[in-house]
Amino acid sequence: MAANAPARAVGIEPGLRLTDAKATLPDLLCEEIDRAADLKALTALAAWMVRFSPLVALDGEDGLMMETTGCDHLFGGEAALVSGMSDRLVQAGHGHRIAMGGTPGAAHALARATGPGEHPVLPSGREAEGLAHLPMATLRLSPEALILLRRFGLTRIGQLYDIDRKALTRRFRSRQAGDAVCLRLDQALGRRAEPFAPLRPPPEHVEYLPCPEPLTSSEGISDGLQQLTERLCSALAVQGLGAQGFMFSAFRSDGATSAVTVNAARPVRTPAHILRLFREKISRIDAGFGIDLLMLEASRTGSMASGSRPLSGDLAGTGFDAQAVSGLADRITARLGEGSVMLTVRHARRPPDKAERQVAYAGQVPEVEAAPILGPRPVRMLNRPEQVSVMAQVPDGPPLQFIWRRRLRKVLRADGPERIAPEWWTYLPPAPGERGRLPRTRDYYRIEDSDGRRYWVFREGLYGDDRGMDPEWFVQGLFA
Amino acid sequence: MDFANLKAKGLVRTAMAPPAVRAEFPFGLGEPGLHEIAESAYGDRAAATGFLLAAIGQGVCGAWVWVRQTSIVLDTGEVPEAALPGLSSRLRLTVQARTAQAGLWAAEEAVVSGAANLVIAEVEQSDFTSSRRLTLASTRHGVPVVLVLPYSCEGATAAASRWRLASRPSAPNRHDPHAPGHPRWRAVIERCRAVPSATGQAFDLEWNDETLSLSVVSGLAAGPAAPPAATDANRFRLRAG
Repeated sequence: MAANAPARAVGIEPGLRLTDAKATLPDLLCEEIDRAADLKALTALAAWMVRFSPLVALDGEDGLMMETTGCDHLFGGEAALVSGMSDRLVQAGHGHRIAMGGTPGAAHALARATGPGEHPVLPSGREAEGLAHLPMATLRLSPEALILLRRFGLTRIGQLYDIDRKALTRRFRSRQAGDAVCLRLDQALGRRAEPFAPLRPPPEHVEYLPCPEPLTSSEGISDGLQQLTERLCSALAVQGLGAQGFMFSAFRSDGATSAVTVNAARPVRTPAHILRLFREKISRIDAGFGIDLLMLEASRTGSMASGSRPLSGDLAGTGFDAQAVSGLADRITARLGEGSVMLTVRHARRPPDKAERQVAYAGQVPEVEAAPILGPRPVRMLNRPEQVSVMAQVPDGPPLQFIWRRRLRKVLRADGPERIAPEWWTYLPPAPGERGRLPRTRDYYRIEDSDGRRYWVFREGLYGDDRGMDPEWFVQGLFA
Repeated sequence: MDFANLKAKGLVRTAMAPPAVRAEFPFGLGEPGLHEIAESAYGDRAAATGFLLAAIGQGVCGAWVWVRQTSIVLDTGEVPEAALPGLSSRLRLTVQARTAQAGLWAAEEAVVSGAANLVIAEVEQSDFTSSRRLTLASTRHGVPVVLVLPYSCEGATAAASRWRLASRPSAPNRHDPHAPGHPRWRAVIERCRAVPSATGQAFDLEWNDETLSLSVVSGLAAGPAAPPAATDANRFRLRAG
């Protein structure tokens, strides 16, 4: 059971049974713990805290850890950063404890030990004296280890400093448990490094726009986005870079964030193009009671193709203007959704339905290679072969009649077969004594029915090939 | 301001002769302007696609934008790269649109972007307004646009022409009388803005994929092939190999 501050004031402590708590206070309000919703809310808060530092990580079930190295001077020093953060959280209505330390362990311990309204800042290098009087429970130890240490009379972190490590470790049931205590102590004191895993990788380029008055209108947001885009693009231009991913975040004063992302097929840094992509999505930004900070991040940066562009697509070596084409693909993708612009590439597979593959267009230029010489190929290929029931068939020949899509079709002329052997290496041989699916040969026929429509059908398997049931017939495509 | 922008605004374009629509067979198909190719019955989409590729696809290099509505892809599948003319300097982007409106928007966007050399859109329906928009964009930017429509499309259109395509029994195969030969289609020009007198004219066409020629066959020769003798059960002669 968890308890909030008013409950604790009347003596209901976390860990108490619900019936005991109800006995203490009959009209107690209680709610089932919803860890998933807690995690969601904490993650949303973490996204909002990005306004202070890009490196934010979750710390347990109820904490956030931020790496603020290099960010404090933007807010006027470490103390000002912490108190500013605290003020912001109070405004947004979040109860919190906040502390700053030189190591993650020290910050964790201080934040757990501090009272509301205090913002201790422990300078780096003075962890030993700062943590000495803090309770052992703040050191991120397992409950068993805490009980054992309490039995020894060790309740303050400082009491651990002078104890012989070997003697301490030997008291624990296992070596790992003892080592864990030493590890946490060393991490808090900065003697051992502790990895930091932020929720999001830090952006490569980022621009901020604080708003003196909270923004509520969509015009204001668009203007802010335009300013940010121009600044970001000139910053990218200085380094000769372009970016493929852009994320625009709006931080609301009530502690919520909304963000939209756009992607480009190849690195870009033209403000007009980026703004055009954002235009489709910017209405999804929810201004709520006002936005007080706008942020634009660029990711997946890469060097831009420099040099003169062709005057027109026909004059380019490839026959088309790759930059204009990828710009078009970006605009269509921004409106119709990811993966709506595809490119067909050849795929070295034998079954004709797998010989080509659709990949999302990412600015690539298809390589020019001579197509393998094949038999006649239909003008339309069905997404997957559709099974047909064949009325009259002759072994080793095309069907005389078949039903496809509920209509009987009489075959007048046929041509074939084009035999395509299976890809035996894609099948696992069945275990001895079992009957698994075995690769079967396909015989493709080009047939024409009495209506003058032409089909590409195949028979999967041969009669008497001893690989399962009778062969089955499929329609693969339609000839012109 | 770069060239693509100027081109996108319609301020510059590649110099070309004034569009003089010829009053003969293709009636401007494949030239800047909007043309529609429709199925004449359900199942003629392959014929419509084949006619489209035969009539205009052979010489167009550069970037093609092929917009398809998802329902059409699910019903009649894709046009594979293997069926397209084997030009070395061609890039075909396929765009998948959920609705006809989104598909028409993508087609118009491709036309005005100045990046595409040919725009093909397969959508379930199109109305007068969107066809008018596409016509204006297409003539202004000099990019041919073709709409491939289902058999159910009727009614007003602003397109320069609307063709209706049906499959015909294929030409006799010189090497094997039992095998299908060169594909044949019946193309009826339903609407023709430039040559109103041509409306309703029907063409029996034969496509030769070896010489890449689309020829008009006479009505007599285009009749159904003589039915083969049905007496022998094993009438399909297998080709060696």
